[in-house]
Amino acid sequence: MTDTLRTAPSAPALRKNPVTPARRTALLCAVAVVVLFVLATFSLTHSDIPMSVSVALRALVGSGDGGSVLVVQEFLAPRVAAGIVAGAGLGVAGSLLQRLFRNPLASPDVMGITGGASFGAVSLLAVGASQLLIPLGALAGGLLAALLLGVFAWRSGLSVTRLVLVGLAVQAGLAAAVNFMVVRFPAELAGSALQWTTGSLYGRTWTEVWAAAGATLVFLAVAFCLHRRLAVLDLGDESAGALGMNTSVVRLQLLVTAIVLASLAASVSGPVGFVALAVPHLVRFVAGPPTLGTLALTGLTGAVLLLASDLVVQHLLPVEGLPVGAVTATLGAPFLLALMIRQGRPVDRSTA
Amino acid sequence: MHTQLTNLGVPNLICRLVSTNSSGAPVRGLRLELLRRIPFFAVGVAALALCVALSLAMGARPVPLSTVIGALFGDATGSDAVAVTGLRLPRTVIGLAIGAALGVAGAVAQGITRNPLASPTTLGINAGAGFAVVVAIFALHLTQPVEYVWFAFAGATGAALFAQALARRGGDLDPVRLALGGTVLQMVLLSWTAALMLISQRTLDEARFWLAGSMAGRPLDVLWPVLPMLVIGLVLAFAVSPALNALAIGDDSAQALGVPVSRIRLAGGIAVILLAGSAVAVAGPVAFIGLAAPHIVRALVGSDHRVLLPGCLVVGPLLLLAADVLGRLVIRPSELEVGIVTAFLGAPLLALLARKVAR
Repeated sequence: MTDTLRTAPSAPALRKNPVTPARRTALLCAVAVVVLFVLATFSLTHSDIPMSVSVALRALVGSGDGGSVLVVQEFLAPRVAAGIVAGAGLGVAGSLLQRLFRNPLASPDVMGITGGASFGAVSLLAVGASQLLIPLGALAGGLLAALLLGVFAWRSGLSVTRLVLVGLAVQAGLAAAVNFMVVRFPAELAGSALQWTTGSLYGRTWTEVWAAAGATLVFLAVAFCLHRRLAVLDLGDESAGALGMNTSVVRLQLLVTAIVLASLAASVSGPVGFVALAVPHLVRFVAGPPTLGTLALTGLTGAVLLLASDLVVQHLLPVEGLPVGAVTATLGAPFLLALMIRQGRPVDRSTA
Repeated sequence: MHTQLTNLGVPNLICRLVSTNSSGAPVRGLRLELLRRIPFFAVGVAALALCVALSLAMGARPVPLSTVIGALFGDATGSDAVAVTGLRLPRTVIGLAIGAALGVAGAVAQGITRNPLASPTTLGINAGAGFAVVVAIFALHLTQPVEYVWFAFAGATGAALFAQALARRGGDLDPVRLALGGTVLQMVLLSWTAALMLISQRTLDEARFWLAGSMAGRPLDVLWPVLPMLVIGLVLAFAVSPALNALAIGDDSAQALGVPVSRIRLAGGIAVILLAGSAVAVAGPVAFIGLAAPHIVRALVGSDHRVLLPGCLVVGPLLLLAADVLGRLVIRPSELEVGIVTAFLGAPLLALLARKVAR
């Protein structure tokens, strides 16, 4: 700081400054990885069948006695993996959407993507499809919501406000459809339909998790490749256009990436609220303005947050069978409201 | 920065246009306005009368109009007449009251927030009422809609006050924060509602029908306790309606014209809570009437609030009764809850509005 002040206008000193945030981001990433590992180990060792760390880790790779291998590999590990995949997907999707819309409250929940996912899942429940097909329904529902969003909001280009507002409308319509089915269902189905409207990691299997994890990895890679264009778009539409960028096309590419990531996440976990909304803010708070490194940190933080919330649901709360979505909403909302009260108007991203 | 400049600029421009045009006496202007709107109001009232007649006659068992008239004036007996006076008459009266309340509440909400997408739902009123009722069912083992009334009203009031407190900045409501804060509040309340219903199967069974929003099986006893609040809300809404016109040209300009902006907004907010709170207490969360009615009226007669509010008084019940009759007809002999019908019809409308509003 003092260095910069003393040699204020000289270029090398200015170029030296960005090194510190980057190093800090790398450090934070390392911390997040460690925390993630600790949380995952904790949830493997502290289930209904407690086991020591070494037994659990050996069972994870398939050695040790058959009982613990079965418990860890078939019941505990899929849930942990689902939490990591969904959390990372939601975090990155939320970060992309907030930067695209230059609105700190934009997220898959507000735009109707996760509402579409619950609509897809509940529709498949309604026609009596097998449990395995339901995540596919959630994915299709999220994409359907995005399609509706595109149909209504596309008018000679994508405008930010219009997308957010149309997203609210899509969300409302799909929620009405889900509500209709919850009312019409017999009582026991209504319960599981409700589970798919709040978000829960209960009862995931490897089949669902592998497919979602693979696709999530691919689209995370896409998101990282598109990051440079996002950074140009952050300059504002006029500047990006002046630099020769077709803003509508780029925004559409990024939007599709974010939507697919959010839908994939919702297909493993259901529409878990507020992770996508809160994580980007947390990351911006600790790591500063968005870079490629903070995007990675956002994914890791999302995974940590969802895994931690799931552990809260399983171990800290006295009531059995609460959905993880209720916990994330309860934790996320006061944070968001505080954020809203502190900052008067939406963040102007062109200054970040 | 650019948007801010235009936001400041447009109201100023409108203000200048208004101040050069409105040299005539405002009272004469109102009378002229009302005279010109007489055909609209006549058609609206006629359509409303038709809807009332349909609402009395249609249902799982259609009743001929002659029997309906006989039953109403007391000289027909039999099961048809009992169905009309005992079931459909209360339902229709409730529909008229609730529709009027929702329509006017929507117009005032849009007026005070200067946001064409504001409605009782976006202020968190429906979610608040829903959560309060689910808690009441869970903790107190209630089973009748009559017993839910005060819990629903309290929940709606609490949520709306909270949303407005969140949006308060510098002694005035910030429209953007009101809409976003209401949405966040709504999402949290909905997730808590779902969690409570997942814990207790009994609560789920009781609450899910109320949460859909319906006027079926409500005796008039549900309406009486909230009627005073509904009337006060209406009076308050009509009292502030001329001032809402001034608010429409922007806070600064309204202030310059001598309108007490924050006091008007407070009174309008109270009117919205009274009206929408009583509506949700009686019928459960019914979405989109409050959003759609003002827009339809505005498209037909213009955006002068002195004409808009009476228009909503006609169009609100018209929409609600039409949706209710439709819900009774689509899956006969069962019926679709009116809240579900309005949500299905309202969502595309909201999308189209959003498309038009945000260019």
